[in-house]
Formats: sequence, C-alpha cells, structure tokens
Amino acid sequence: MMGLAGITVWPLGRLTLLFLVVMWGSGCGQDTKVTRVDSGVVTDLSGRWNDTDSRMVAEAMVKDALEYPWLNQFSSSNKRQPVVVVGTIVNESSEHISVQTFVTDLERELTNSQKVTFVAGKGERDEVRTERKEQAIFAREDTQRAPGKEIGADYMMKGTISSILDEVDGAKAVFYQVDLQMIDLESNAKVWFGQKKIKKVVEKKRAIF
Amino acid sequence: MLFSTRLCLVYLLLVELVGCGPPVNRYVLIEDSLRANNPKRADAIVEGAEKDYGSKSVVLYGMDRGMTLQLAGDYKKSNAVLEQAEDEVDRLYTRRIRTETAAFLTNDNLLPYEGDPYEQVLINVLKAINYVMLGAWEDALVEARRIDHKLNVLWDRTPDKNAYRDDGFARYLTGILYESTGDLNNAFIAYRRAYEAFEASPSWLHLSAPTQLRADLLRAADAMHLSQEFMEYQRLFPDATWESSEKTQRLAQVVVISYNGRAPRKEDQFLDVPISLDALQLVLLNRGFSQSNRQNNRVADSVLYGLNGRVVRVALPRLVLQQTQVKNDPVTLTSNTGIQVNARTEVVQSVTALAEKTLSERLPGITVKALARATVKFSLAEGAARGAQQAAGKDAGPWVGLAVGLLAHGLAVGSEEADKRSWETLPDEIHLARLWVTPGQYHAYLRGPGQSNEAMGTEMGRELTLDAGRTVFLFQRVMP
Repeated sequence: MMGLAGITVWPLGRLTLLFLVVMWGSGCGQDTKVTRVDSGVVTDLSGRWNDTDSRMVAEAMVKDALEYPWLNQFSSSNKRQPVVVVGTIVNESSEHISVQTFVTDLERELTNSQKVTFVAGKGERDEVRTERKEQAIFAREDTQRAPGKEIGADYMMKGTISSILDEVDGAKAVFYQVDLQMIDLESNAKVWFGQKKIKKVVEKKRAIF
Repeated sequence: MLFSTRLCLVYLLLVELVGCGPPVNRYVLIEDSLRANNPKRADAIVEGAEKDYGSKSVVLYGMDRGMTLQLAGDYKKSNAVLEQAEDEVDRLYTRRIRTETAAFLTNDNLLPYEGDPYEQVLINVLKAINYVMLGAWEDALVEARRIDHKLNVLWDRTPDKNAYRDDGFARYLTGILYESTGDLNNAFIAYRRAYEAFEASPSWLHLSAPTQLRADLLRAADAMHLSQEFMEYQRLFPDATWESSEKTQRLAQVVVISYNGRAPRKEDQFLDVPISLDALQLVLLNRGFSQSNRQNNRVADSVLYGLNGRVVRVALPRLVLQQTQVKNDPVTLTSNTGIQVNARTEVVQSVTALAEKTLSERLPGITVKALARATVKFSLAEGAARGAQQAAGKDAGPWVGLAVGLLAHGLAVGSEEADKRSWETLPDEIHLARLWVTPGQYHAYLRGPGQSNEAMGTEMGRELTLDAGRTVFLFQRVMP
C-alpha cells in the first residue's frame, strides 16, 4: 500500500500487532528463582574462579603434597608428625579471588589428613596472642595460658594463584594456575612443589530474543 | 465544540506521553555540591536519583555513584557499585532483539547503557585507585591486570589506528601500581606500552607522553638491565632527569591525581524534515519562534507537527563541552624538618577528547538508524490514521482519522529523543604528578575544589607520614 508523499504504508492491523508484541516483550521482567543445592554441586555460572575451584584445587594439592617423600622422611627421622603453617597465597590473577577461602580449604585438608600437625597462621596467631596477654591481666591465675609454649612450624606452605585470559568476540578462555610450595623453615629448602591448572571456556551469545 | 474538546483531550494525552518538560538536571546539583566541597551531598543526589536512572541505565548509575563515592571517601562502597557496573557491562554483551526493536520504534534511550569503551576502562582505573586508598595493593593489581586485558581485547577488535584502541593514562597508572609493589618487570612493560600509546595517540587526543613517564622508563630500563632499551630511551629523552631505582627504593613516593573540570554533556539536536510545502513553512516558522529553547518545546512541537502531519523529526546527540581552565595543579610537600618539594601535575587524560572522538565515530550509524526510525514512525502514524478513519465509518471517520492522525504523528515527533546518556561525573581532564621524597612527616598542599567565584580554587592541606618504599596516593576534584 502506498501512503502520501510516496512512503509505503503497511496494513494497520499487522503493524499495530507487531508494535504491541514488541512493547509487551520489552516490558517482560524475569522472576527470581532460588533452588537449594548441595554445596558439593559444581555451579559454573560466570566462568570465574568459584567455590568449586577453591575446594577441588585445595583437595588435590594437599593430597599431592602429602604423598611425596618429604613427609615420611621427616616423620621417620624426627619420630613425630611435621608441623605445617600456611603462609601467604598471593593472588596474581585478573579476578578478585577470595584467597582466604582457599587458605581455609587448604587448612581444612591439612588438618583432616591427620598426617601433619597444623598450626595457626600469622593473622590468627596475633589474635590468640592478644587473648593470652589479656588473660594475663584479667583471667584467674589458675586458668591463664602461659606464653612461650607455642609449637613452631617445621614447614610453610605458600604459593600463588595466577591466570591467563584470552578473549575474542564473546568467547573467553580462562587459564588458572595454582602453584604451591612446601618450604623447610630451617633450611629454606623447597621440599615439595605442586601445580594445579584449570582451564575454562566461556562463550556468550551476541543476541537473544 | 466537540472537535475542540477532542483536540484538548488529544493535547493532554500528548503532554502526558511526551513529558511536561526536561527533568531537574541532577548533574547541575552534583556539580554545585562538588564546587561547595561537599562530595557527600553529591553522592546523596546520585543515590536519591537511582530510580530516575531506571533499569536501562544501571551501568550509568554505577559509574556516577562510583565516582561520587570515591570523592566522598567511601572507597569500599565505590568499588562495590563499580564492580556491579562492570558485571552489568559484561552481561550486556548479549543483546536482546526485543529491546533493540522497541528502541528502534521509539528511541535509543530504551537500550541498556553499556558505556563507551573509554568509560569501561575508567571503571577499572577508579577501582584501582580505590583499592590503593584502602591499602589493598594486591586488589589494585587485579584491576591493573583487568585494564591490560580490556585494552588488549579493544586493540584486537579495533583495526582503525585513528580510533580509541589503547589508553596511555590507564597503562601508565598500571605501571605505577606495579612499580609501587616492587614488580619492576611488569612496570617496565606497562610504562613502555603507555609511552607507545601516548606517542601513537592521534592528533584528536591532544596529548603527548608526560615528562614523568620518560623518567620512569629510563629508571625501569636501567633497573632491569635492559641496556639496549635504556640507550634508546636516553637517545629519545636527552633532557630527562631521573633517579635510579636503588635510590627511589630508599625514598617515599607521592602520586597526585587531579580530576579537573567537567566531562562534556550531551543534548538533543533536532532535525525537522518537512515533506510538503506547508510543512516547510511550518518548520521555518516554528524554528524562528522556538530556536532559543528547543528542549522545552517538545510538547508544542509534537502538537504542531502532529496537526500538520507532514513533518518527520530526527533527534541526534550533540556534545556540549565544559572544559577546565586549569592547565596544571601545583603540589607542595613540606616536611616537619622544613624541606619543601614542589611539583606540577601534567595532563594524562582528556575525557572530552575521548567523548568527542567516540561520538563522531558513532554519529553516522546513529543518524542512519534515526532516519530509518523516523520513516517507520511516519508510516505507522499514517497507517493508524487511515485505519481509524476507515474503521469509524463515513460519519465519524474524518474526525476520528484527524484525532488519531494528530495523536500518532504527535507521538512520532514527541517520542523522538537522542540518547544523551554519558558518564557526566567524570572530569574534563585527568592530571598526574609523581614525587619522590625523603621519608618523614609531611604536609601536602593541593589545589582544592574551585568555588563558584574562585576560578583557581582553594588550597587544601593534608598530613602525611611517608616511610621508605611506601607509596601514597592523593587525589582531588578541581571544578573550574
């Protein structure tokens, strides 16, 4: 159909219907849906470092660390379990990773292994020492915990989380590498070096209806 | 009588649909608050206007709020809203066809705002500064790596060498962050890429590599024992004065970042295209009367052009520059032993130039889309008027057709509006100075936010405790 000034005019009914459909469609909202899942379920939503990565890497790396000969060598020569402290895990990735969650996962795995004695890290030690100092002032004498009786660590576990990103046209490859080392606190010798790699590919659609 | 009553009803309906006039410009109130050195009030204005931003401008709200929160000193919250804005930008990569279609039939304000590429990079720049202010250097480095990644992706997808595809300032900032945390290797790479970006920056950016960056390149190349690069930079910068890395490590560092002036704002530029001789006369007459204030005449224009039915309106965005008058900012550090260190900031980023370039690149596409939209709207209005006339029958047909035509053409004109959204709480320019001083107690004098009657602003003092190897960031908002 031709309209005035030579401009094509579409049939009214169809245009109105199209307009209404578009307007209706653009006004649609999304309902929020919450589903409870087991904390062990893998939930990869954005492709970023998540709780599953933290837990799986901690489990695998502690298992790997405790299978190496340094543990048995120490136990047989010293007739006791080695004492381990978790040091600094540096985030060298492109994401704001909760390093504390990963450190907690490592500490849990080390403690639950029953193969090493695990002692509190620097941050926790400061809090405990403050508590002891306050006990010395405020607590009943027979209940006070004495200073100077802490167990010194034999080894420190420390490391880095780094990532490499590659992205083009909505497709992104993320490569995470976690490097952990067990360092002899007396000799500075590195008795174990573990590495865990995770690779994820995230693809985004350019258009949806 | 009946006809005039119907026309009044139609007019009232148009007024309701088109809007009664421009809303109170929140940015004027924000700027007033910043001039009065009251960033908390500026932030409260942005926070209070969250609903006005709407669901389509979540990113813009995050960017504006991130800036005002930073100026108000709430770095943690600033990062939280900037992080949300960044996540939203990421999510908006996937476009919704139904939203695009709705925007095509009305105007581009229905599209979600995702920010221009330079604005997206500045989100990370602001976050990095926030983390430094919080003392979270590891997180600041995460932002440095994100900036690097974002710029690499931008470089890959922008083949035009004359376009914005790298960012000298953002790269320079990452270099400062790396060096401040002892990572000289990455610092050198960032400085080198910053220098290359400044040197390759086209004439439209009006920027060259800062003098300080030249000294930084020489120091980093020397510290890394990159003799070939060091000699090359010595040849390029024969007049540069620099201190060795060994010496700077024994000193304390103060980095001053100054946000100067106001980023440009956008306004509507209406093109009224008459498609008949009568309409041409009407447009010329209307323009003669209302040229002085086009923004306030959208309702009147809608009614006039709706009655005529032969005018097609196209709205395009136009930048209104609000450039700073401050060329550089004096910085003075006075120690408690009487030592005085003076420096002046240098321009490292021109937001106005970036906004001008970005809009000029997008304008052809916006124009084509606006013309196509105007044509479709005109066709729809014509179809609606004719359809209504036929449906109403012989007696009422002409009146119904006229009323529907007026309404439909009026709506087509009235709904035409350019997308004027941009990150307006950004400054016109970003200035930077880097000072190395002997450790100790210092008093820092900076230019403060300008009062309305003081073009140069007022001085602000801050007490600093500077330890060897420590880096302190200071930033300020200069409004003139």
